[in-house]
Amino acid sequence: MQTLDYAIPGTRPTQPGWVTFVPPLAVLMLALLMHYCVPFLGAYAERIMTDMAIAMIAAMSLTIVNGFTGQFSIGHAAFMALGGYTAAWCSYYFCLRYWGQTAVVPGTLFGTHQLILLCCALIGGAVAAGAGWVVGLPSLRLRGDYLAIVTLGFGEILRVLFQQTNSQALSKPELANRPLFGSDPTNPGWVFPPGVGGSLGFTDIPKSTNLFLCYLLVGLTFLFAYRLKFSSLGRALLSIREDEIAAEAMGVNVTRLKVRAFMFAAFFAGIAGTLYAHQSGTTLRPIDSGFIRSFDIVIMVVLGGLGSISGALLAAVIITGVTAALLGLTDYGLLPYRMPVFALVLILMMIFRPKGLFGVHEIWDYLPQFGRKGAK
Amino acid sequence: MSFLLDVQRIGISFGGLKAVQDFTLQIAHGALHGLIGPNGAGKTTVFNLLTGVYLPQTGSIHLGGVSLMGRKPFQIAAAGLSRTFQNIRLFGELSVLDNVRIACHLRGRHSLTATVLRTSFYRRQEAAIEERAMTLLSIFDLGDLAHEQARNLSYGDQRRLEIVRALATVPKLILLDEPAAGMNPAEKIELAKSIEQIRKQFNLTVLLIEHDMSLVMDICERITVLDYGQIIAEGTPGEIQSNPKVIEAYLGEVVTES
Amino acid sequence: MADFLQTLIIAITLGSLYALIALGYTMVYGVLKLINFAHSDVVVLGAWLSMTVAVFLLPRIGVTGATWWAGGLVLILAMLLCGAIGFAIERLAYKPIRGAPRLNALITAIGVSLFLQNFGQLQFTLIPNERVVASGALQERGQDPRTIRLAETVSIESEQKYAVRLFKNSAPEGATPQTRNIVAAAGTYEAGRDIAIDGGVGRADTRDARYEIVRIAAGAPLKLPFGAMPAGMPVLFNDRPVWEHVFVSETEHGRLEKPVRITLLDLTIVGTAVALLVGLQILVFNTRVGTAMRAVSYNMETAALMGIPVDRIVSMTFVLGAALAAAAGFLFAVKYTQIQQPAHATWVLLGLKAFVAAVVGGIGNIRGATLGGFLIAFIEQFGAYAGLQVGWANASAYTDVFVFVLLIVVLLVKPTGIFGTTVREKV
Repeated sequence: MQTLDYAIPGTRPTQPGWVTFVPPLAVLMLALLMHYCVPFLGAYAERIMTDMAIAMIAAMSLTIVNGFTGQFSIGHAAFMALGGYTAAWCSYYFCLRYWGQTAVVPGTLFGTHQLILLCCALIGGAVAAGAGWVVGLPSLRLRGDYLAIVTLGFGEILRVLFQQTNSQALSKPELANRPLFGSDPTNPGWVFPPGVGGSLGFTDIPKSTNLFLCYLLVGLTFLFAYRLKFSSLGRALLSIREDEIAAEAMGVNVTRLKVRAFMFAAFFAGIAGTLYAHQSGTTLRPIDSGFIRSFDIVIMVVLGGLGSISGALLAAVIITGVTAALLGLTDYGLLPYRMPVFALVLILMMIFRPKGLFGVHEIWDYLPQFGRKGAK
Repeated sequence: MSFLLDVQRIGISFGGLKAVQDFTLQIAHGALHGLIGPNGAGKTTVFNLLTGVYLPQTGSIHLGGVSLMGRKPFQIAAAGLSRTFQNIRLFGELSVLDNVRIACHLRGRHSLTATVLRTSFYRRQEAAIEERAMTLLSIFDLGDLAHEQARNLSYGDQRRLEIVRALATVPKLILLDEPAAGMNPAEKIELAKSIEQIRKQFNLTVLLIEHDMSLVMDICERITVLDYGQIIAEGTPGEIQSNPKVIEAYLGEVVTES
Repeated sequence: MADFLQTLIIAITLGSLYALIALGYTMVYGVLKLINFAHSDVVVLGAWLSMTVAVFLLPRIGVTGATWWAGGLVLILAMLLCGAIGFAIERLAYKPIRGAPRLNALITAIGVSLFLQNFGQLQFTLIPNERVVASGALQERGQDPRTIRLAETVSIESEQKYAVRLFKNSAPEGATPQTRNIVAAAGTYEAGRDIAIDGGVGRADTRDARYEIVRIAAGAPLKLPFGAMPAGMPVLFNDRPVWEHVFVSETEHGRLEKPVRITLLDLTIVGTAVALLVGLQILVFNTRVGTAMRAVSYNMETAALMGIPVDRIVSMTFVLGAALAAAAGFLFAVKYTQIQQPAHATWVLLGLKAFVAAVVGGIGNIRGATLGGFLIAFIEQFGAYAGLQVGWANASAYTDVFVFVLLIVVLLVKPTGIFGTTVREKV
């Protein structure tokens, strides 16, 4: 294929050099700020801020595939759960093997446990991305609605598979006596089928998720999504969403990019799942991969505007906030009305503002002083 | 003489309907070839066959000696064959500039790492792409509209943007599907000039579907006439105008008075 | 042989249910090119509405126990109610966005599905009257997550409804702990012993610290029999075996008798389903309305130009689909009376599998949906059967996996399904 060398040394980049380095530093600062400031607001605020961070990562990741690429995945929680289970399995058994226990000192900024968590997040993300490849390859060749149904089915399959896993080894001596493989109920293996608690759920995962890691990862995910959206690759993704046939005619390898976008989304979902798994108070359950949780993320993405990263962030904050408020302020009495109301909002949104709050644009496009032309 | 595009006896049928059969076409480097025919003759189907939207069931297609049979549309675009669409298919939500930049994407090198890290290479390439896109837009006087949403453009501007977008993929051969549809006479003259200009400037070969006969006869060097999926005539505009089969296809059978 | 026959009977019964549901998907897809995600929820609604009718209406018009026409009456009422709901869904949610991009239609369908699902799970207690009768700290959970261990002995009288509420200990300070409603069966619960709790949205786990036992209402609470704790279907049929054969085999453990039964209920289900399938077939292919439906499905604009009242035909399709869904829901509830779980556990999965059936048969094709329904039922039942035969003891837990693997295989090999035709997008 003929390539033009666009990167002629003489060409002056339109973007200045600082855009490369300053945003990652800003992300680091934000994470540190969150870590040191939020605890003053109390344990409850800390918990909600963590929930919000996880929701934000999940919503942004879904934006990559649902928003940019226009392929509707509604089984996103399955990738979260897969990533979470994988990472939790790694960290739990690592800790059990080397320390015989999984307790974590709370309040640490970045200790050994956070390092382990970060490594496990990468593994969890990678496994989720691999699953994304397996699911995406057959269904992304076809029209959008098939992906919806296949991802939904994938979540349900995963739920069944998680239910059939072995019970977890609870102590170091127990772990030593267990075989690697096998599903004998009296002495089950811990590697395969993995000992992640079956239908009882996976408990006592190291509680190493902290605000610093959460907001570091929120920032990095945002940076990834933002830089992807405003780049040649991202525009190619958007072109698929606008018109697949025209995109392909303009030389966009539609199938490959769709699968890639789907894998990115799965990867970050896996990371969000990892943070969720290592959050204090979490018992990972097979139901976590079912569609109830998936729909939460879908609602965030649709409300925020399909393709709007900041919209997804805002919607994630609002929905997590509203849920927390319903939990805390109304004595749990109004909580059952949450989903019917959100569902109604979703339907009304499609009728009166079909592109969500911000459409494909970002929030600042609507502010007069920064307004890009074209945002209406 | 070697041809840039060499199509031999391609055909496709949908169900029992033979939409196109035995279509043969040879276009020399730098030529401007017209493809005409009554509505439903199969002209757009030929474009779809050439660009890989439909897979030809018979025959062969070569572009510059390279076979395009069985290739996917994006591979065909990469091989140097680009097109516009009769029923305008712009990326409506996106800006005019983005529409062109997406097509520029094909000739660049894009790695995820460079994109996410915003490397110096990446930033230079983006700048070059933007510059090139703006240059192309200004040829068709669309430079001022670069930041408009594509769907807000007027009909004529949308048609022109389609051509610019196709040009941005750096084609050797460009297929224009009714580029003048919906334009007023002044715009048509302007369009004819622009087509001539880009042919010279980019060393382009053009295959054109058009219903406006005066435009076709004016600018095309050779013309192929299609009716009911089959070629009924091929030749210079002068030959075509006097061909009885062509007149029959357009006006119906001449009824001789008895 | 006995197992094989029994599997066959179950597969046929289940297959006719799947086929009924799949038809609703395929009809709406045929007419609107929309995957009606809410269809599975209409099935659930059909089941719950028929339970409501059976529980509330039948005793009030003097029908108790099994009468030969009670089932039919409930079926017809449920179909009418669901048909009305289907009509409302189409008019209120789908019609305003007709012609919008497919993605919007898909999101609306998901929204409608979520709404029905979650609205249906709300508690519709008309006379709320609660009183805490006992409370205490919850001891550690038992081995089974569906059991809790109480600190004191509690006695629950038989005729009143009680709920066990569990309070989380992990809720952060200052927050009100979450309450979980779990219906407890009547009886005496001794301290320190595991007690089973049935139904309900939650279950006991290590994070639950305290419990309360609450008497929900004095006297008879007027509570709709669905919601978070749907009631079971009352007995409507005098179910009895119409055919029975006992297979006797000699094993090393002695004589083994395995009976195979076809019950009246099985026959009723298959009979009703087949009657509805045939009826629909006649309606679509042999009547004016059916011709109009097919015309709309072929090309909506042209059909409108030909003077076909498109809106009315589309509504009609929804009403028919919803009525069939209600019938399937009713039959399912009659067959599996013990099914009491809320929507997301069993019911939605049922609808999803039926959707897979529609895709496998070729979405938009009525015969395809019927065939697909039976195919899915056979794959899941015989998959489990074959698994057992080769010594895979746990095979029956994987039936859902078989179905979705089949879906993926079909999408890979023939994305348009068995009877589907390729639709070319005009370029």
